Amino acid sequence: MGSIRFQNVDKVFGASQAGVKVLDDINLEIGEKEFVAIVGPSGCGKTTCLRMVAGFEAPSSGTITVSGKVVSEPGPDRAVVFQQFALFPWKTVRENIDLGLRNKNLPAAERDRLIADALKLMNLESHAGAFPHQLSGGMQQRVAIARAYVLDPDVLLMDEPFGALDAQTRVVMQEELVRLARVNPRTVLFITHAVEEAVYLADRVAIMTRRPGRIKEVLDIKSVRLAENWDRFARIEDVMDQESFVHLRTQIWKSLREEKGAQGV
Amino acid sequence: MIGRRGLIGLGTVAGVIALWFLLTTLTGIVSGARFPSPSEFWASLVQIWTRGYAGGQLLAHALHSLKLVVMGFLVAIATGIPLGLWMGWSRRAEAAINPVFLVIRPIPPLAWIPLAILWLGLGDAAKIMVIWFSAFVPSVINTFAGVRNIDRPILEAARMLGTPRGRMVTEIIAPAASPLIFTGLRLSLQASWTTLVAAELVGAMVGVGFVLNMAQQDLYPAMILVGMITVGILGWATTVALARVERQALAWNVAARD
Repeated sequence: MGSIRFQNVDKVFGASQAGVKVLDDINLEIGEKEFVAIVGPSGCGKTTCLRMVAGFEAPSSGTITVSGKVVSEPGPDRAVVFQQFALFPWKTVRENIDLGLRNKNLPAAERDRLIADALKLMNLESHAGAFPHQLSGGMQQRVAIARAYVLDPDVLLMDEPFGALDAQTRVVMQEELVRLARVNPRTVLFITHAVEEAVYLADRVAIMTRRPGRIKEVLDIKSVRLAENWDRFARIEDVMDQESFVHLRTQIWKSLREEKGAQGV
Repeated sequence: MIGRRGLIGLGTVAGVIALWFLLTTLTGIVSGARFPSPSEFWASLVQIWTRGYAGGQLLAHALHSLKLVVMGFLVAIATGIPLGLWMGWSRRAEAAINPVFLVIRPIPPLAWIPLAILWLGLGDAAKIMVIWFSAFVPSVINTFAGVRNIDRPILEAARMLGTPRGRMVTEIIAPAASPLIFTGLRLSLQASWTTLVAAELVGAMVGVGFVLNMAQQDLYPAMILVGMITVGILGWATTVALARVERQALAWNVAARD
């Protein structure tokens, strides 16, 4: 349960001859309860990778399996957190979180319990009756994360989830996500263009080339984190001060910069 | 109770009435045979309100017209919104229905009146049919546009949550499209009044349009004005009622509209 596997995945947008190849032979395995971040230059197809796991788009060739099953359509076993939150503005916070549970035909009592847990987990208890437009961006993204977590999904797909937030809120949400990963670890595929975010959050970071995107290298962060015991710090800025963190960050930066150089930017 | 804007509005109305008085009664620049003075207007209003005109009192004419508009409007939106939702949801439905629409759409709703009277006579049924045709088109088109303009992530989020088909329509598509659906309803309501009055002008035995028609034949400008203002007030009242429903239904959307 909860693994993701890309096998020789190509993606071409448009007709197969005249189309644009955005992804070229992607191979990647994400293990049970592993947190993998994909970074890459904009337009490299990293979001397309996530959208294919979600089932919003199909690979042009190759296969993607989640928990051993080939992905063919969207479903609640693969919960998505979108950059623009994608909450239902006509539903309250509670109703937003409830929809997926109702779709699973769970009895009301169980839904109530799960919603209460999710609200508590994301510190949203006092906002259950609010509409999304009444909340700040950070709060809205908490709702979206609660809506995803409450489904108890095999994998969590996060598409630049903090990209639309201001810098301070972003840091709070990153710390929050690390806290969540400790209380309730999940298999996570996380798309970002923020290198520090990737190093801070992920067990492994996959670096992509410019279009057509390929996986250029995969860095192991987890072993460094454990060896250097980053978890003793509560705050992201303390982790970011560590020499080991700086070293990894610089390594990824250099790798990405080569890609931009190749593009002539 | 009345805010600053309300006062300005009242001031304008008072100004228009004063100008009216000035041009007709005081100076006689406009002759009473072309446009009535305020006192003539008032006398006609009292006449139709108490003794009646064109076969009935004002309230009876007004309520009859109102009833037909509401019925035609309801039939139109009860058919138009589902069709618009369906065309927005299914590319195949759009492909099948759109060509018919492209031909029917440019036909002015009033052009249906002769056919409606030929089929259904001078009674209520013909008028409801004409209102239906005229109010139907804006409902369909705006509902359709509303569905097509839904942000893709909203639909993807709903699919990701495993939302089944029926619930997708009632809880996601329809509410997401509702701001534009209401735009369509406002246009439909306007079209309903336009076509009703026109249909009553052409053939009716009761109703505000019939009052207008009779007053024209009697060369009675004061009664024409009474009829026109009655239509104005009825149209305004229904618009306000619809706006109230809209505010209730779209309470979640206030931030997006401000």
